[in-house]
Amino acid sequence: MSSTGATPAIRLTGLQKHFGDVRAVDGVDLEIADGEFFSMLGPSGSGKTTVLRLVAGFEQPTGGTVELAGRDVTGTAPFERDVNTVFQDYALFPHMSVLENVAYGLRVRGVGKAERRRRALEALATVRLDHVADRRPTQLSGGQRQRVALARAVVVRPRVLLLDEPLGALDLKLREQMQVELKQLQRDLGITFVFVTHDQEEALTLSDRVAVFNEGRIVQLGSPREVYERPVDAYVASFVGTSNLFDAEVARAVLGRDGRYALRPEKIHLAAEPDAGATTPEHDRVRGVVAETIYLGIGRRVVVDTEHGARLVVLEPSTAPAAVERGDHVVASWRHADLVTLA
Amino acid sequence: MTQPTAPTATAPSSGTGAVARRASSFLATRPRLRLGLLLSAPLTWLVLVYVVALAALLVTALWSVDAFTGEIDRGLTLDNLREVATESLYRTVTLRTLGVAALVTVIDVAIALPIAFYMAKVASPRARRLLVVAVLTPLWASYLVKAFAWRSLLSEGGLVDWVLNPFGAHSPGYGLTAVVMTQAYIWLPYVILPIFAGMERVPDSLLEAAGDLGASAGTTVRTVVMPLLLPAVVAGSIFSFSLTLGDYISVNIVGGANQMLGNLVYTNVGAANNLPLAAAIALVPIVIMLGYLAAVRRTGALDNL
Repeated sequence: MSSTGATPAIRLTGLQKHFGDVRAVDGVDLEIADGEFFSMLGPSGSGKTTVLRLVAGFEQPTGGTVELAGRDVTGTAPFERDVNTVFQDYALFPHMSVLENVAYGLRVRGVGKAERRRRALEALATVRLDHVADRRPTQLSGGQRQRVALARAVVVRPRVLLLDEPLGALDLKLREQMQVELKQLQRDLGITFVFVTHDQEEALTLSDRVAVFNEGRIVQLGSPREVYERPVDAYVASFVGTSNLFDAEVARAVLGRDGRYALRPEKIHLAAEPDAGATTPEHDRVRGVVAETIYLGIGRRVVVDTEHGARLVVLEPSTAPAAVERGDHVVASWRHADLVTLA
Repeated sequence: MTQPTAPTATAPSSGTGAVARRASSFLATRPRLRLGLLLSAPLTWLVLVYVVALAALLVTALWSVDAFTGEIDRGLTLDNLREVATESLYRTVTLRTLGVAALVTVIDVAIALPIAFYMAKVASPRARRLLVVAVLTPLWASYLVKAFAWRSLLSEGGLVDWVLNPFGAHSPGYGLTAVVMTQAYIWLPYVILPIFAGMERVPDSLLEAAGDLGASAGTTVRTVVMPLLLPAVVAGSIFSFSLTLGDYISVNIVGGANQMLGNLVYTNVGAANNLPLAAAIALVPIVIMLGYLAAVRRTGALDNL
């Protein structure tokens, strides 16, 4: 999905935002292609929401530029930018009905009454809420409000939709359902989605590309698979999913090698001590004792204390043949290729 | 077996503790009695001080004064009410009072809106605290002191004259303009505070959402801020409007020869020794306020409170 030749929907160049001494955004360069589902992933305070607010125009950057579809919009007001935002708290107008909320963007653009009613109802229909058009936002459930906020933002057909942790306030089941709907909506509308989240699973399942943020900078940019399978450093490896991290000392003891490495729990194979497991030369092996097993439904998490003192977390699929128990002596093994070298 | 070191919940305790415990467990299962005990004091206060006083006022308005002896005749008559309703003097003073109150309210709301907006949405938390203190500080000073301060400001050769004279203008002197200025100054904090509180309750994200959807600042104020702020503006206006309606002190101090409803009440209680007529005049602002509240209710401004 990277842009070759075509003008990107969003281009950020050397973007900086300082609040007093705090560098919330500290030099972000980024291009987001037209029609891309792009996620900004990071813990709270990593600068991802501030980047979104700089793109929307709610904040003015301390340095750098924001371009939308090739036009430099740095310094312009939010209402002059062809982007719309879905807010974390939905920001629905409490004094207006659902229909008036959705029609608001059309109303301030001077669209006629009949026309804006038709288009607002159409937008409500795409989120399957045309039957609550006359209610007040306070009479809706969290999931419904979320969808009204979506309809309100897309009814004006923006080039780019910015979503600020839009699913954060919903419960798990609803969140999973909304993820599917968001993905469908983005495919149907064909507009660029920029999605801010601290939920790595959400970012991985929804996005074409993911930018992982830390301390105001992008530490890794790539497809969900790249970010998950090939994290560039210990921060990404531990923030995106779970990783076993080998620092220099452990790496020398366990692997007999220098450097720092990460290893995903599901890549480790456990075998009871007597049948020493796979012994091909492309495998690393280490002995240990099972310290804890946790049942997860889709599998089991097994914690192994290795003979070198380091702890390994292993994810055993529920299909694994002989389950090891606490106190068992085991051999943990993995392919060299699954070991990720960190910066 | 070891001895338990902490007393258990069922252990008997001292006398008063036991009584208190029994009383609270008695109340715990009787929510209505609990509510009754909680509300009895404030309800008694409200009924005695408020409702009874108002009823006494209404009854007094129906009495009359014997013209020769000056004694109050407790026979019921509608003469006072009829006089207040028909005499042109009372109509003129009522209209004048209404006009002053309306003008004071409009001026106060117009000043309070930008100040409240700045306090709630723009100022840093530190500046906001300082501004709240600054708004409240004038309330520490006595009403009389503030009214006399305006008297000296507006006097011939006073500060206002001194500032305006180079531009060829003069102090408005003592009169209705001075009353409006003084009242607008004195009641301003009562208008700023509710509007500030109302503005604080409007989430920033609503303002951002309006801008995001294409509304300019002016359109945002008109379509989002003002409708949400209307109940707060109404609350503030009720303060400035009703307080001005009932005022008589500042009129005496800076109003020159003008009279407002409050002055008529004052003279009738004092010099004219006609308490029943004073009571009848005092009903006028009450009726006006009831009408104002009914009109406000009709607009639906209070539905979102």
